[in-house]
Amino acid sequence: MKTVYGRMMGFLSVDHPSPALKQLPTASAFAIGIVLLLTVPGIEVTNELMAVVGITLMVTATVLSAILTRAEHLDRYAIFVPIIDFLAIGAFRAGTGGTASLFSELILLPVVWIAAEEGRRHIVIAAVGTSVALLMPYILGITAPKDIAELLRGVYSPFVFALAAAIVNELARQSRAQLQSIRRLADDKEVILQRTVEFATQLQESEAKIRAADRLFRGVWAAVTEQSIIGTNSSGLIDAWNTGAEKLLGLTIDEAEGKKYVFEFHVLEELLDLSRELNYPPGETVLNPGFSALVESARLGRAESREWTYIRADGTPVPVLLSVTKRVDDTGETSGYLFVATDVTQSREVARLKDEFVGLISHELRTPLSSILGYLELLRDDDDNPLSEEQIKYLGVAERNAHRLLRLVGDLLFTAQVESGKFPLDLHNANIDKIVSGSVESARPVAAAAGIDLVAELDDRSPFVNGDSVRLGQAFDNLISNAIKFTPRGGSVTIAVAVTEETVVVTVRDTGMGIPAAELDQLYARFFRATTATRNAVPGVGLGLTITKAIVTAHRGQLDVESAEGVGTTFSVTLRLSGTPALRA
Amino acid sequence: MSANPTHRVVVADDDSDIRALVAIAVKKAGMEVVAAAEDGDRAWDVVQETRPDLVILDVAMPGMTGIEVCRLIRADASLADVRVLLLSAAVDESSREAGIEAGANDYLGKPFSPRALVSWLATEYQARP
Repeated sequence: MKTVYGRMMGFLSVDHPSPALKQLPTASAFAIGIVLLLTVPGIEVTNELMAVVGITLMVTATVLSAILTRAEHLDRYAIFVPIIDFLAIGAFRAGTGGTASLFSELILLPVVWIAAEEGRRHIVIAAVGTSVALLMPYILGITAPKDIAELLRGVYSPFVFALAAAIVNELARQSRAQLQSIRRLADDKEVILQRTVEFATQLQESEAKIRAADRLFRGVWAAVTEQSIIGTNSSGLIDAWNTGAEKLLGLTIDEAEGKKYVFEFHVLEELLDLSRELNYPPGETVLNPGFSALVESARLGRAESREWTYIRADGTPVPVLLSVTKRVDDTGETSGYLFVATDVTQSREVARLKDEFVGLISHELRTPLSSILGYLELLRDDDDNPLSEEQIKYLGVAERNAHRLLRLVGDLLFTAQVESGKFPLDLHNANIDKIVSGSVESARPVAAAAGIDLVAELDDRSPFVNGDSVRLGQAFDNLISNAIKFTPRGGSVTIAVAVTEETVVVTVRDTGMGIPAAELDQLYARFFRATTATRNAVPGVGLGLTITKAIVTAHRGQLDVESAEGVGTTFSVTLRLSGTPALRA
Repeated sequence: MSANPTHRVVVADDDSDIRALVAIAVKKAGMEVVAAAEDGDRAWDVVQETRPDLVILDVAMPGMTGIEVCRLIRADASLADVRVLLLSAAVDESSREAGIEAGANDYLGKPFSPRALVSWLATEYQARP
C-alpha cells in the first residue's frame, strides 16, 4: 500500500509527472475561463450546447487523468486525456464565440503535453488535435468561414502549433536522454557505493584476522626464550631480535635492531673458513665472504643446521647449533634471513662427559679383568703346583665368565665409539671366506654344546672386500652366536657365502624361534631385546645387532633380515667386492 | 730361558696387582725387576737412576702418562739403548699408533696374557741378547 506521502510524491513527481499533474494547467486555465465567462461582461456564451459539451468533456478528461494517476498500469491510455482536452477546448471555443473566442489559446496546453511525450507520432497527434479543435465550428456546421483567410487560420495555426510541438518534442527527447544518462550515472554510483561498502567490510574482516595472527605471532615470538631468533635484511643488518637472542647474546632489542649486523656475533675465522671451503676469494667477487658463506645454503633454499660459535656482548664464546633460512618478499625475492640458534654448551659437555665416562669405565673394568685373567692363567700354567682336573674345570668357568665380561666391556666401548662417530676401521683387502671360516670354527664348540648342527657353505671363488677383518669377524661372530642362542636343541644354523658379479652376500640362517614382525624395525636399537629372547630367557644385553649393523654400515654394506616366528631367521650381509663401488655412497 | 739374566727391567703401573703380574712374567723370562713405580713421574725418576735395559710402562697413570715418560726416554740420548714396552687398556689402533710414534718398541693391550708377555720378552731378547 502506498502511503499518502508516496502518492503525493507520485502525483508531483517531476521526473515522471502523473497524468493528473499534466492535466492540472489545462484544467486550471479552463476553470479560469469559466469564471471569466460567468463574471466578465462581454464574454458570452454563443452556443450553450457546445459550451456545456466543452465543460463536460473537460471534466471527463480531468476525472480520467485522476483515475489514470491512481491506476499506474493503465499509463499507456494517458494520451487520451489531452486528446479529450482538444475536443473539450474545441467545443468550449465553438460555444464561446468560435474564431473570436477568448479561449482559443487554451489549445496550447494539450499541445505541449502531447508534444512532450516520447516519439515523433505525437507531433502528428498534436497537429491533428489542434486542427480538429480549431476547425470544430466548421466541422460541426455551427458557423461557416467568412472568408478564405479565416479558413486558412484553421490550417495555419495547427501548422504553427505542430512546429512548436516538434520543438517541444525534441527538447523533451533531449532532456529525457539527459535524465536517462543522469540516472545511469546515479545507478553506477549506487553500484560503486555498494562495492565500496563490501570492500570496507572485507577489509575490516582481514584486519581482524591479521590482528589475531599478529597476536599469535607475538605470543610465540615472546615464548621462545631458549632459542635465539635473529632476523636480518639481505645484507645481514638485524631487524628482528627475540627474547632468546637477548638472553643468549646479552643485548637488548634496542641495542641490536637496526644497529648490529648478524656476523658481528660470529667468529670471523670460522666464517672465513667456510667461505674458503665454498671457494669465495675474499675481496674479489663477494663483498662480505663470511656472511655470504653463512647464508649460502639458505640462499639456495636448502635447510641446513651447522655448529658455530657465537660471541656474546661481553666477549665470551658460546657454541650454538644454527639453522639459517631465507625470508622472501611478496614477489618471492629473498628479502633477508632468519637465524635460529640453540645453545649447545650443555649437550657438548654431556657428550664430553660421556666420552670421559666411557673411557674411564673401559679402563677401570679392563684393569681388574687384566689381573683376574692374568692370575688365572698363572694358576693354570704353574708347573710346580699342577691343578687337579676338577680345579682346571672350575678355572675354565672363571676364565669363560671373565672373558664374557671383557666382551661386554668391549661392546659397550664400541657402541659408544659408534655413537660419537669415533669408529676406527683398519681397512685392507680382506678374504671373506677366511673370516667366515674363522667365525664358524670358533662357534663350533658352543654349537656342539647346544646340540645345534652348524653348517658352512663357502664360495670357492674366495671373495675379497676392502674391509677390516677384525670388525667383520666380530659382525659374523655376533650373527652366528645369536643364531645359536635363538635356535632350540636339534636345530641348525647355516652360514653361506654367495658371490655375485659385484657383491658378496653372507647369510646366517637358523631354524630358531624367530622374531615377531612388529619388532623387526627396532632390532638394531641399542639394548633392544626381542620378546622371543626375553620369553625364552636367551642371555644377552641387546648390543650385538647394534654393533653388527654399525660395522656393516661402516663398510658401506647392507644388513637385511627375514624372519618368521617359530620357523627361523635369516640375516644377510651384503658387501661390495674389492674394486667395485660401495653399496652406500 | 734364553734371555740373559743380567737384563734389568723397570715396571710402572698404578695398579699393584698388575705390577706384580708383570714382575712374575719378567722373572719367568729370566730377567730382573730392578725397580717398580706407581706413577709416571716416579717411573721417570727410577729410569734415570737405574738405567735399565727395558721399561714396561702402563699408559694411563697418575702424573705423567706412559707415553710422556716414553718420549722423555727417547729424548735422552744417554738412554738410547733402553727399550720400552707400553701396556694399555685402550686397545684401538690409534692408541697403539700414538704409542709407537712416541718411540715405544711395542704396545701390548690389556688384559694381556702373562704367557704372551713371557714369550714376547724371550723373543725380543733372543733377537738382541
